[in-house]
Amino acid sequence: MRTVLDMKSWSSPAEVTWCPGCGNFGILNALKAALVAAKLEPWQVVVVGGIGQSGKVAQYVGANFLHGLHGRALPHALGVKLANPELKVIAVGGDGDMYGEGGNHLLHAFRRNLDIVCLVHNNGVYGLTKGQAAPTSGPGFATKNRPMGTLVPAFNPLAAGLAMGGSFIARGFAGDIKHLTRLIGDALQHKGFGFIDILQPCVSFNHVNTFAWYRERVYDLAFEGHNSLDPDAARARALEWPVESGDARIPTGIIYRAQRAPYESCGRPGKPVVRLKSDFGAVKRALKDFE
Amino acid sequence: MNELNLIVAGHAGQGLQVISRTLGRLLVRAGYYVFVSQDVMSRIRGGHNSARVRVSTRPRAADGDKAEILIALDPALVARYVADLAPDAVVVTDVAGDLPEGLNAVRLPLVDLAREHGRDPVMVNAVAVGATLALVGLELTGLADLFAREFARKGEDVVRRNMAAAEAGHRAVVEDMKRSCPYKLATPEPGDRLLISGAEALALGAIAANVRVVTGYPMSPATPIVEYCFRHAQEAGLIVEQTEDEVSAANLAIGAAFAGARAMTCTAGGGFCLMNEALSLAGMTETPLVFCVGMRPGPATGMATRTAQADVLFAIYAGHGEFPRAVLTPADAGQAFQAAQDAFRIAEKFQTPVIILFDQFMADALWTVERNELRVDNRQGRQERQVPGAERTDGQENRQERQERQVPEGAKAYTYRRYEMNQSGVSPRLLPGTPQQLVYADSDEHTEAGHITESAAMRVQMVDKRNAKTAGIRQELTEPKVEVKVEVEPEAEAEDETLVFCFGSSRGVVAEAVARLRRKGRKVAMVHLGHVWPFPAEAVAALAAKSQKVVTVEQNFSGQLAQLLLQECGLRVAGTVRRYDGRQFAVAEVEAGLEELVGGKAG
Repeated sequence: MRTVLDMKSWSSPAEVTWCPGCGNFGILNALKAALVAAKLEPWQVVVVGGIGQSGKVAQYVGANFLHGLHGRALPHALGVKLANPELKVIAVGGDGDMYGEGGNHLLHAFRRNLDIVCLVHNNGVYGLTKGQAAPTSGPGFATKNRPMGTLVPAFNPLAAGLAMGGSFIARGFAGDIKHLTRLIGDALQHKGFGFIDILQPCVSFNHVNTFAWYRERVYDLAFEGHNSLDPDAARARALEWPVESGDARIPTGIIYRAQRAPYESCGRPGKPVVRLKSDFGAVKRALKDFE
Repeated sequence: MNELNLIVAGHAGQGLQVISRTLGRLLVRAGYYVFVSQDVMSRIRGGHNSARVRVSTRPRAADGDKAEILIALDPALVARYVADLAPDAVVVTDVAGDLPEGLNAVRLPLVDLAREHGRDPVMVNAVAVGATLALVGLELTGLADLFAREFARKGEDVVRRNMAAAEAGHRAVVEDMKRSCPYKLATPEPGDRLLISGAEALALGAIAANVRVVTGYPMSPATPIVEYCFRHAQEAGLIVEQTEDEVSAANLAIGAAFAGARAMTCTAGGGFCLMNEALSLAGMTETPLVFCVGMRPGPATGMATRTAQADVLFAIYAGHGEFPRAVLTPADAGQAFQAAQDAFRIAEKFQTPVIILFDQFMADALWTVERNELRVDNRQGRQERQVPGAERTDGQENRQERQERQVPEGAKAYTYRRYEMNQSGVSPRLLPGTPQQLVYADSDEHTEAGHITESAAMRVQMVDKRNAKTAGIRQELTEPKVEVKVEVEPEAEAEDETLVFCFGSSRGVVAEAVARLRRKGRKVAMVHLGHVWPFPAEAVAALAAKSQKVVTVEQNFSGQLAQLLLQECGLRVAGTVRRYDGRQFAVAEVEAGLEELVGGKAG
């Protein structure tokens, strides 16, 4: 019996423990709306979460989940998808997860182009550990561990993704759920690594990059004639923000996309390996090499 | 004679492994038991490497004492091995270059023959193979076939030229020497045997256990396991991934295992340090996962291509928090093949990580194994049953391991609880992708459904549940027994005064040393531990109760097995024979060490 799938189909009994007004709510709702629009059923989807307030999305979506380790959502997602490519896999983490602890995995994830969606809650600060600087904290951003402000430029995930050969690179804003829902939908449809950096205001620890602050600066690339298939145009937009000093407009939407064979389809067994039956003959044949 | 020991020496890059492997296979085919150990420097070129080949009419699992034949591709290397040679040993080497005085040398134009007949000086290894076969009185029968396999990827021309070079080497010895080799091997009992490295046997055991995802980041001595899997990925239906680092290797394997594929990750001690967080996650999420961990001397980079047994306590305690695990310590290729199957069976049945802890020596040595010893164990539960749509093809499966797989009849949609409480601690397992059910794996302490919780009561229940599995794992493992298999009786008498405990690849060396001592009338016997966790405390205590003295032989500084005996059984060892220079024990060394510990001559 198939039921009509709506937002309620994607609900979880887990108690949501985010601060009231947190940008994460917008992301969770956009993700659910995108899953409804994609006509997926909860059992077909695996959400892999990192550790932090962002990773808890895994517990709140109402799909299968592997809520693992800080920074390791991408390796987990890689394992799930390689073992069973029929599952729809979504990796969710924060800026600490994906750009700090798991930065190496992210670089190689762009190269591999696995057919998964990767959502990064980018709030420019560490929330769960209560207010330390993140790789994406803006220049001069004062924190407990850097009271005089951060000393190094912010990590630019979009530029890094372009440099690593990413095939779907986008930026969303937790304050524009409709736009973010469309972006996630596009990433779900994309055959390859669908990467979305999501600007997410942290109401408790980031009093600089607030909803109002972002609203003054974000704009939608779709309305400015951006050609997301053009690598040069993509580079220019990726470098538009964050900038070292002064204010800038913040582009949102799909910065770049390209067609490239997804990793799990390259030279793999014909069907998901979780379905392969044991082949005792293979061992017997292999033993001949040792005669 | 019943036994012959050869040393093959050359520079890195001269293809020494081809010599020892090819000679070994031909001798095994001829009915002999062959044992090959490798001595490799951690360089790509420029170092010198050697292999010891022991040929015997009886099973052997250790190097012999002295070599009767030295094949040195460069005369400059001979001096290094003079101390390892028997008094009248034959030294086969090139004509160019000086040799130490007083050696029984057979000088052959090895390099020139390679140039002339193989049209490449690199074929000097093939010349050496031919020459050695002639020395031990064997023909080249079967060699072409072996070369064809060895050089398959390099083309027919390379195979043909190698064969021509080998024939030239063979002829040179037969014609020029005339005087036959003073060593004549006795005719062996024929058998159906194979020559296989410990690493290859481990990989093949994993394939026999239906492994589907193998991950790793290159690190000696685990690399050959992953490479073997790479080579067989297509045929055996494996996904083999070299990841960006060990952290990714272990976590990828967890993802794959969560999705339902049998998964294994391979590394050495240093890489295992990086995997500890993932090990802990596998324990918490109750994900079946096999870690192949090779021991080499540490700390840190230590000695990359050498052997050690110093990560036993590390493996037992690795990972934060408390969770059940098994740590297996196979002795040789036959045991490695079985250990891989045991590891997957236990991991799957108890939904927890299993570590195969092997030493470099075990992995790189070539062991002669009876073909029927490499049996596929059909106690393996079949993985594919859990996934909807998987074919059901045979009835071989063990029912006990299958029960957990299906959605109970009449189960309501979306009611599955991944961590449902029960006595054994093992909850029925479904896989993600099961229609109308959801599977949660949680690194946070969780409820039975799998959701994050901070409930004190639930925390206690979950800790108890996870750790309850240890009792079951214990029953799954074979108890250690007194054995001196190699030389004398199959089982020693109960009244042995000294009991020697060892683990890993020391088994062959210790067995031979103990057998020699017994021939001298010493009351001593050996127990090899094929697993060190859960520690077989009851069995060990029972064995020790029948002896007066307990000692250990182990390749580490601090006597880690001796510490375990004290901790788990309250046994205080009378002494420990230790070695930690990165080299395998020699039989004579262990014999002397034990003799001192055993004390007073037997009556």
